Amino acid sequence: MIEHGPLIERLLAGDFVCAVSDESAFRRLQDEQTREQLDTYLRPLNRRLAANPEGSVYFLAWRNLNDEAREQLSQQLGDTLHSLLPLLEWLRLVQEALGRDALVAPGDVLKPAEFSAKCEDNQSLRERLERLATDSFFGSQSEQLDAQLKQVFKRLKEHGYLLQPHADRQVYLVTGKVDYLIDLVRFIRDEENLPIDEEAPTTQEALL
Amino acid sequence: MSEVHTLESRLLATGTERLALLGKHADALMQGYTRDEVPLEALTDAALRKLLAARILWRPDEQSGVKLSPKVRDLIAEMLADETRRHVNADVAETLELIRSLVQSYREARSRGEYWQQEQQLLRLRQELDDLNGRFADAIDSLWQRLNSDFGFVSRLNDKIRENHRAQKQIERLLDGLTLIDFDELIDLVGSDGTLRKLLISQLQQQLSQHYTSLREVQRRLTELMARFRQQQSQSRLVAGMAAFLREHPGFVPGNYARRSEVPALVNRATPLVAAAAPALDRHQDTAVLSELIRQLPVPVHSPQTVEAAQPAEQQQESLVAARQQALKQDVERFYLTVVDEADAAGAPGISALGYLHARELEWQDEIWLFQVIAEYQSLPRSEQRAFRLHQEESQASNYNHVRLIHDVTLTLALSA
Repeated sequence: MIEHGPLIERLLAGDFVCAVSDESAFRRLQDEQTREQLDTYLRPLNRRLAANPEGSVYFLAWRNLNDEAREQLSQQLGDTLHSLLPLLEWLRLVQEALGRDALVAPGDVLKPAEFSAKCEDNQSLRERLERLATDSFFGSQSEQLDAQLKQVFKRLKEHGYLLQPHADRQVYLVTGKVDYLIDLVRFIRDEENLPIDEEAPTTQEALL
Repeated sequence: MSEVHTLESRLLATGTERLALLGKHADALMQGYTRDEVPLEALTDAALRKLLAARILWRPDEQSGVKLSPKVRDLIAEMLADETRRHVNADVAETLELIRSLVQSYREARSRGEYWQQEQQLLRLRQELDDLNGRFADAIDSLWQRLNSDFGFVSRLNDKIRENHRAQKQIERLLDGLTLIDFDELIDLVGSDGTLRKLLISQLQQQLSQHYTSLREVQRRLTELMARFRQQQSQSRLVAGMAAFLREHPGFVPGNYARRSEVPALVNRATPLVAAAAPALDRHQDTAVLSELIRQLPVPVHSPQTVEAAQPAEQQQESLVAARQQALKQDVERFYLTVVDEADAAGAPGISALGYLHARELEWQDEIWLFQVIAEYQSLPRSEQRAFRLHQEESQASNYNHVRLIHDVTLTLALSA
């Protein structure tokens, strides 16, 4: 168990472990025996290892859902919901700023400088970024584009959606937590029967 | 026989000359490749005539401009591995037809003992088989190129999906083509001829089975990639849809999943727990490590500037302390005066210093107060000291030493002699 010490500590601290954030730990977690060992260790702390449906991120869940755990989960859900729209808007913004039609995926490289250049050229992107940065989730107080971007990236890093491999270089990696976010969105849509269509419009295909 | 040689040398000469045309007019031809038509201003009339004669260029009709012939376009696409334009030719049936007739001619030539003719047929047969093999190899190479670049030559996801679809259809056609080759039929065809058997059976079979494996692998990877494209597409729609929904319904609150009897796995996230630790000295072996760590702590560097900047604040601090001390001294003096006043009025029972402190509700700590009362007594001139008697209420701190603790002092005005 000694060799898993740092990994357990990260998991306990609430980190999401994926192939981008810690490749060697992620590989170890894919081994069922290791997972069982960790679960046994975590049992007295009322925690267990959990993963998203595709198994691309691991995190800790409550083992026994007592009242206290439920209370904390409710609060957490409230926070998540509060941050949902700003995060989704950010995903859309990245997609549009980089001119891509797929969402960012774990392992993608993002550079604030690139956004800054795109936003300077495009007034509509600039306005959307401004609205996003000053949202209470990102909480930028600045009117400067670069400061706003810095704050947005900082917050995403704090929340584990981005990783900065070198503290002195403004280059970020997208982590597997984005997968979790999308799973959560799909889950909420299914649970609440929201009228959101995920399938491609078939009529267009038929015309082709 | 010499006729045949003349024919061959004429073929050689014309072929070389026409191939050279490609190099000579490479610029114009490449412009024709990237655009719709070949720019005529770069070509002389003679050059244009030669290019048309060599079927490198053609003119679809009188009104339209001059274009690259499809074969040349294919050749360039093939050389550039230009995946937007590379074609896959899966027409195996025609090749098979040709092979059958070549084998027939070869056997007839052999039975007639026409050695040279026989060699020529064999050469053509080899070339046809190489062509067939090459077509599959090229097609597979083109498919891998597209696959490995994630269809990078088109940018939109929809285009990628369409390109993937097209590639999958090409694979199907190639696989269909492979099934047309019936080795039982070929075995019958070659009979007992060793050369043919080697060419058409062992060699071809080995090559084709390799192509078959490669095609299956590419097909599997294309299907996987298609699934990923579709997933990307659906994720993108999902995020866009949810963002739009949340914007339109700012008051939307989903159910509280944490209160359900079965809490959904996805929302069950334990709160963070920090495994905290602090330096501890209760284990002897750690002491050395800790003291080493303390020695390694950086020594705070004070630049002269900060000292200067800090000075006014320090003075203020000092003057504040001085003021407090002055106030303490004045309170103690008042205590002494009270002792004098009270003694005048009512004989001299003496006044407890702590009793005075508490009765007047002064803000000083007991210890400081006692200390100052004693200090005041000590600092009086000897003549005045004699006017007071300071009685210390004290006890021995422990049986093993002579430390004495002062609990209170009582000040009495000594009757002047």
